[in-house]
Amino acid sequence: MGLSRREFLKRTAALTAASYVGLELPFTLHKEASAADVDKWVRGSCRLCGVGCRLDLGVKNGRGVALRGVPESRTNLGYLCMKGMLFYKVMGHPERLTKPLYREKKDQPFKEISWDEALDIAAKKFAGAVTAYGNDSVAYYGSGQALTEETYIFQKVMRGGLKTNNVEGNPRLCMASAVGGYLTSFGADEPIGSYADIEKAHCFFIIGSNMAEAHPVIFRRLMRRKLDNPDKVKVINVDPRVSPTSRIADMHMQFKPGTDLAILNAMAYVIINEKLYDEKFINDYAVFRMGKEKKQVDFAAYKKFLEDYTPEKAAAICGGNITPEKIRTAAHWFAKSPATMSLWTMGINQRKRGVWANNLIHNLHILTGQLLKPGADSFSLTGQPNACGGVREGGGLCHILPGHRLVKIEKLRNQVEEAWGIPKGRIPPKPGYHTVAMFEAINAGKIKAIWINCTSPAQSLPNADKYRKGMSREDCFIVVTDIFPTKTTELANLVLPTAFHFEKTGVYGCTERRSQLTPKAIDPPKGAKPEVWIVREWALRLAKELNDPVIKQCVAPFIGKEEGYELPKAIWDEYSQKLTKNRDNDLRGATYEVLKSMPDGVQWPAPTEAFAKTGGTVKKFVRGIDPLADKEAKDDKPYQFYGPAHKDRKLWIWLRPYKGPAEAPDAEYPFYLSTGRIIDHWHTTSMTGRIPELMRANPYAYVEVNPADAKRLGIKPGDMVEVESRRGKNVLPAKVYEGPIEGMVFVYWHDMHEDRMINRVTKDAYDPGSKEPEFKICACRIKRVSGPKPLKPYIVT
Amino acid sequence: MPIGGFVVQTEPAATEKVKKELACLQGVEVYASDEKGNIVIVIESNSSDDMEEIVKKITSMEGVFTTGLAYLNAEDEVEKIEKGEYIPNISLGHNKPH
Ligand code: SF4
Repeated sequence: MGLSRREFLKRTAALTAASYVGLELPFTLHKEASAADVDKWVRGSCRLCGVGCRLDLGVKNGRGVALRGVPESRTNLGYLCMKGMLFYKVMGHPERLTKPLYREKKDQPFKEISWDEALDIAAKKFAGAVTAYGNDSVAYYGSGQALTEETYIFQKVMRGGLKTNNVEGNPRLCMASAVGGYLTSFGADEPIGSYADIEKAHCFFIIGSNMAEAHPVIFRRLMRRKLDNPDKVKVINVDPRVSPTSRIADMHMQFKPGTDLAILNAMAYVIINEKLYDEKFINDYAVFRMGKEKKQVDFAAYKKFLEDYTPEKAAAICGGNITPEKIRTAAHWFAKSPATMSLWTMGINQRKRGVWANNLIHNLHILTGQLLKPGADSFSLTGQPNACGGVREGGGLCHILPGHRLVKIEKLRNQVEEAWGIPKGRIPPKPGYHTVAMFEAINAGKIKAIWINCTSPAQSLPNADKYRKGMSREDCFIVVTDIFPTKTTELANLVLPTAFHFEKTGVYGCTERRSQLTPKAIDPPKGAKPEVWIVREWALRLAKELNDPVIKQCVAPFIGKEEGYELPKAIWDEYSQKLTKNRDNDLRGATYEVLKSMPDGVQWPAPTEAFAKTGGTVKKFVRGIDPLADKEAKDDKPYQFYGPAHKDRKLWIWLRPYKGPAEAPDAEYPFYLSTGRIIDHWHTTSMTGRIPELMRANPYAYVEVNPADAKRLGIKPGDMVEVESRRGKNVLPAKVYEGPIEGMVFVYWHDMHEDRMINRVTKDAYDPGSKEPEFKICACRIKRVSGPKPLKPYIVT
Repeated sequence: MPIGGFVVQTEPAATEKVKKELACLQGVEVYASDEKGNIVIVIESNSSDDMEEIVKKITSMEGVFTTGLAYLNAEDEVEKIEKGEYIPNISLGHNKPH
C-alpha cells in the first residue's frame, strides 16, 4: 500500500496498455482497486474522425477527466489516437459559447439574449423569408460531425415542415464522390466489407490517403497484419506525396497530381491483356457500361477502350516514378493476391473526376473478383465521424431522403411522407441546392435565411473569399449552432450555443456501416443546449408563425420529451423503425437498448434485434452473412446485389477516360497546389505554438516544397513563401522536404489566420456528378518573400 | 500533469533500439515489450500539449509505426482548466485584429 495517487494512475495506465498486447507487468492493482481512478466510466465513441473508435470517458465530480479504449471493440481494438485529447480540453474550455447571441446587422456587436428571444427571432426570420420569397429561400447546412438524430430532425423540419430540399452538409466536401462511386459501381452506397477484412487481406492498395497520419488507429491494424506476415502481405501506396504511409509501402507509385485515373486504367489494361481477370465472377455478376446514358457495352468494347492506357502510354502521362514495369507489377500483385483491399480518402474524392476515380478503383476489384470474399474489398475511409451515419443515411444532402432514398422518386418521397404522417406531396420533387450552388445562391441574394450547424463553411469552402462575401450580405439572415465562435459565427446574425459530445445523447455511423451510441455522461455548460431540443422548439414556433399545423406535426412525436436522452431516443426510434424499414440500411434491430448493450454498436443491415445483437452484417450482399441477401435472393448464386440503384442487380464496370484536373499548371501558375483537410473546424494548436520556433509541432499551416523546387527558387526551410492562385494568396513558412513531388506544393487547412487560410487560394471547380469540389488540385505560383518570421497565432486571447 | 499509457508499435528488428531511445525521453517510462515489436510505455508530461509533442516525436522515430493510446488521465489538467489557470489553446476563429 501507500502508493501515491500519481503512482497509482501510472500503474493503471501501464496495466491497461499491457493488457492490450497480453503482457504481464511485475505488479497488479488488486489491493488498490478501491481507490478508483474515476467515479464512473461512460462508454461512447470518439467524435474526431470517421474511424469510430470506442472509448470510455472517465467522469469525476461531474467532469470528463480520463479516457480509455474499449479492447472488445471491433473498430479500434482498444487503441486511440491523440486527437481524442480534444475532449476534455473542449468540455471545460472557458471560451465555450453559453448564451444565445444576436445582432440585427452584421456590422453590429453581438448582444446576449434569452433562449426564448433567440428561438422567436429564428422562427420569425425563417417564416418571414418563406412568406416573402418562397420556400426555397431558406436552407440548412449541416455537418458530418452532427449526430444522426440532429441531421434527421433538421432535415425533417426543412423538407416536411418548410417544404424545401435545401438541405446540405459538409460531407459534400469530402465524401460525395465516394457515394457516387458506390452507387454507380455497386448499386448501393457504403462499403461492402469491414475493417475486419484488414486481418485477412494479402495486398493493400492505398490510394490518395495518408492513413498513417489521418487514420492512425486503422493504420495500426494494417501494420500489424503486415508485420505478422512480412512476406505474404504487400502494400502498394499510390500518392503524389511521400508520406509516412508511403514509407512503409512495398511499392510507392508517385505521379503528377491528377493523373492517377490513367494509372488505374492501365492496371485494368494489364489485368485484361495478361488474363489476370476472374472470368466467372465477371460473367456471373458484372456488366460493362459507359457514358451518361449508362449504355451497356461488351467485353471487347472495354478491351478496346483500354488500348489508350497501355502501361507505356500511362507512364508517359503520369510522370514521377511511374514506369510501365511498376504498373504491371502493381496489377499482378492486386489481381493475384488471395485477397486485396483498397483504401482511400480525399485524394480520390476531392477531385473534378472524383466519382470516376472511385469507379476505376471499383473496376479493378470487380474484374479480379477481389470483392465479397474475406479480406477483399474496395473500402473508402471516411473523414468525419458521422458523414456516413447521419448525412448519407439520414437524409443530410439535397438529393437524398432518410434511408438512402432519392428525392426525385415520387414513390420514395411518399414513403417518407407517410412515415411522418404529413400530406402526400408535401416534400417537393426537386432536389435542393448542392453545397457550392447553395453558397452561390447566397451570393446571388436568393437565400434569405440559412441555418448552419456544427461546421464552418467560411473557412472550409474552396475559394472561400468569394463565398464569405455572400455570407456577409445583410439580406441573408444566418443562424449558427456551434460550441465555439468560428470564422462563420463572424458572419452570423444569431449564434446558438450547443452541447458537445458526451454532453448529449446520440448515434454516429462510422466508415464500416456501423452505428454506435454515445450517451450523455456530463452536463453541458449552463446555457448550452442539445440541437434536438433547439430544432423542436424552433419548429413549434415556426408552426405558429406560418400558421401551419404540418410543421407542428413534424415534431409532434417529440413534444415534452426530456432533452438529454428521451428526446434523441424518440427521434432515433422513429428514424430507425420507420425510415430504414426494408431499406438497405435497415437499422430496426439497432435500438438504443441493443446499441447500449454492445461494446461497439451494430453494422447494418440489421433488421431484427436478435441479429443486431450478433453485431450485424460484416459483409453486404453475401448470402448466409447478410440477411437481406438471403431475403432478396433471386437465384442460387452466393452473392445478391439488391442495392437500390441497380435494377439489373449487377456490378457495373465503367469505361471512364482519363481526365486531368480542372486547372492544370501553366506558364503563369506553374505549380500544382494540393491541400489536406483536418476534420475539426476548431482545431487545437499547441501552447508551444506560441514559441516562435517555426516548425515545432506544426502549430501553423506551412507549405511543403520539394527540395529541388526550393533550391531553384532560393527557398530555405522556414522562409516565408507566398502561394498565389488566380483566386487569392497566402503567405506561409516553408517546410522543405521530399514530400510533394517536384512541381507540387502542399498545405493543410487547419490555420484560420487570414494569411494562412489556404481555402482562399483553392479552386471551387467541382465534380459534375458528385458536386464535390476539387480541393486536391489547382494551379498556383510560389515565391520567397522573406526569411523566417515569428508568426502570430490565430487564437483566443 | 496528464498520464498516458501507450503501446508503441515497432519493427521487431528495431524494438531494442527504440526502447533505448524512449528511455532517454523525459517523462517516458518503458514498462515491457514483446517479440512482435510492441512496447508498453507510460508518458507523464506537464500538459497534454507536451504529451502530444512527445507522441509525435516517438511516432517519427526510425522503426516506429504507430503510438497507440490505451489510457489517459488528465484530472489535474482539467482542474486547472476549470480554475482558469490553464487555457487550452484552441484556434477558434475569433475576429481579433492582428
Ligand atoms: S482514429 Fe479517429 S476515432 Fe479513433 S481515436 Fe483517433 S480521432 Fe478518434
